[in-house]
Amino acid sequence: MTRGLRRLLAGVTFWRLVLAGLFALGAYATVVRFGRGLGAATNLSDAFPWGLWIGFDVLVGVGLAAGGFTVAATVHVFHIEHYKPIARPAVFTAFVGYVLVIVGLLFDLGQPWDIWHPLVMWNPRSVMFEVAWCVMLYTAVLALEFSPLVLERLGLHAPLRLVRAIYVPLVVIGVLLSMLHQSSLGTLYVIVPDKLYGLWYTPWLPVFFFLTAIAAGLAMTIVESYLSQRAFGRELEHDLLDGLARVIVVVLGVYLMWKAQDLLHRGQLALALQLTPEAVMFWGEIGLGVVLPIALLATPHVRRHRSGLFFAALLVVLGFVVSRLNVAVTGMARSSGTHYVPSLLELGVTFALVAAGFTAFAFAARYLGLFPAATGGAAAPAGARPSPTASGWGIAGLWVLLLAGWALLTLARGREDRPATAVLSATSATSASASPTRSSHDVAPAGWPAAPALPAPFRFPRGAHSPGVVTFDHASHLDAAKPQCAECHREQFSLLRPGRPLHGQLVMERIRRGQLCGRCHDGQRAFGVVAGECDVCHSTP
Amino acid sequence: MTAAILTDLTKCVGCQACVWACKELNGLPREDGARQLSATTLTVVERHGRVNVRRQCMHCLDPACASVCPVNALHKTPEGPVAYDESKCIGCRYCMVGCPFNVPKYEWDRRVPRVQKCLMCYAQLVSKGKQPACTQVCPAGATIFGQRDALLTEARRRLAADPGRYVAHIYGEQEAGGTSVLYLSAVPFEQLGFPANVRKDPYPRLTWNVLSNLPQVVSVAGVGLIGIWWIVRRRQELAQNLPPPESER
Repeated sequence: MTRGLRRLLAGVTFWRLVLAGLFALGAYATVVRFGRGLGAATNLSDAFPWGLWIGFDVLVGVGLAAGGFTVAATVHVFHIEHYKPIARPAVFTAFVGYVLVIVGLLFDLGQPWDIWHPLVMWNPRSVMFEVAWCVMLYTAVLALEFSPLVLERLGLHAPLRLVRAIYVPLVVIGVLLSMLHQSSLGTLYVIVPDKLYGLWYTPWLPVFFFLTAIAAGLAMTIVESYLSQRAFGRELEHDLLDGLARVIVVVLGVYLMWKAQDLLHRGQLALALQLTPEAVMFWGEIGLGVVLPIALLATPHVRRHRSGLFFAALLVVLGFVVSRLNVAVTGMARSSGTHYVPSLLELGVTFALVAAGFTAFAFAARYLGLFPAATGGAAAPAGARPSPTASGWGIAGLWVLLLAGWALLTLARGREDRPATAVLSATSATSASASPTRSSHDVAPAGWPAAPALPAPFRFPRGAHSPGVVTFDHASHLDAAKPQCAECHREQFSLLRPGRPLHGQLVMERIRRGQLCGRCHDGQRAFGVVAGECDVCHSTP
Repeated sequence: MTAAILTDLTKCVGCQACVWACKELNGLPREDGARQLSATTLTVVERHGRVNVRRQCMHCLDPACASVCPVNALHKTPEGPVAYDESKCIGCRYCMVGCPFNVPKYEWDRRVPRVQKCLMCYAQLVSKGKQPACTQVCPAGATIFGQRDALLTEARRRLAADPGRYVAHIYGEQEAGGTSVLYLSAVPFEQLGFPANVRKDPYPRLTWNVLSNLPQVVSVAGVGLIGIWWIVRRRQELAQNLPPPESER
């Protein structure tokens, strides 16, 4: 018993404790999410219906898994066979990534049990419909692409032969599906030109999403190899990673030029030079996530070092995360009129999903032979030390600086233009910057109509025992400038039955009971019914 | 023929009869002081200065919400209203993101939530040839129901008959490619909380421009990939079977 306990305790490491904590938080968030609904678990609202779960769990998750199709195409379509050792970890990462994306979606969807609906209820005009189909099919393709590893281990040769026979068409289909939905995640936002901030909205969003996903997917492969070397002493050959890094430079370079040209062409480049939260995050994405890594990875000195390569690739991954969150959160914030910050439970679910990804990867690296064994020693050149230009602390410092700037500017903006009343509609990014003044709600602009005319005095029909005719004058009962019609015309004299506002008979008995006129004329809010003073109301004999 | 609603803001007295009629017909809670659209308030009378602005779903002719819905839960009916089938909805909330007028709202606090928006009383009244509850009860004749063409004619007649009373703009005639809910006003619409820079073209066209090209992209890329696979393999085969260079013979 004690030996078992000791062995258990020996297995408790810092990272395992962190993992356990994250899973506990995730489990709690799951209970709240499904027990009490989206409103209780998230900070989402009618003004901000998509938050962290779409921005990170789906957009980032799918993008970081892009290494799967890129490497598979490299090895099996382009026949660059010496990249074969990378294919396994890349395909496995992609598979885990997609499974986690689907799990994340189950949290975000209002009716997750109906997630299969797009299979049978078709709307080909919907980008979401296309994404749903592609993600589903591609996850199946990834499972097949990854299956040989499992089948080999289980010794199932017949299905293994079958998968091998169809492997190339499988890879081609996987590449096509990936091209479709990686870009379509960007197309999702093509329909919100008035809502997405000018730095990000462009009809080229699908192309930009595709290019950045390729770079991020390859960078993720480098990051994983480094981490797995740290954890298990297994990694990929440095030459191969070096090759990936060169591809990243080219892809990011193409993206950077295209993006700059697009901003210039649409006349939105000036937005990047203003001191706004959006501009700060834009430079985080482009400066720290594209320009800096291009410079680092283009430098042979940095690329040669294991940790130089790792940190530069990490910059690409972080920049990619920010680029997706910029579209999903930063860029949609201004037009929404609210400030969305994910709740602790939203963060909890997201972190738990990331933790699940790491766990699955560690498991596969250890038990499934994800990386070829015993390549660790000879992989990197001897004496690899962190390149001074791209050390972990340097990166962390830059990002902390950037996020602090963003937070400050967001707070400043929140103080500046907190709307006096919640206005239903969105003021778009462009119109907000063009005309920052809100129309004051107290001053009537030119062309304002005079106060609505009140209805003419109303003579109630005289009853059998009435001491005199009652004439109701709207003008003496309410303020013509601010008529509160519904005060009486909702319950007491309902307008819901035009021409017949009265339910039942108008008799003094009901008024004494506090109905009809008696609702106000109760002796307190207004004079009440007093014996002998009938002529106050029944004024016309 | 498309059913439509014309709301003349110069005639609205702000009595909220439309709001209460809507809540009554749809069985929604009658909490007081609803100031904006929500999952329990499908039409509302906002006050902007002295103008009462009745807001509701615009019922676009080519609705963005219906085009983005992956399962056709939201759909444009032949009669005109944009209807909702909650049994299809998966709760992705893309309609809320996609609507240029920010109309669809969500039941955040329910465990089985639905999207809520004005459906123009489609199931209860309009599909049976009757008019919706809100226009039925309006005591001021500020919001009226009819065929879109007829209402447009009526709106133009009012603009021509009393040009000093209105800004020369029928909101909804062209906005988002045309909507089934039309507005007349004395005050420019952007001062009344209406989205000012709404496009004149239907929003679904933006994404359709991309989606409609995908079959071409897929076929070209597919042929290209298989071509590359074949060519590279063939070249490698030939390189392996090549006779050794002269010097080694």
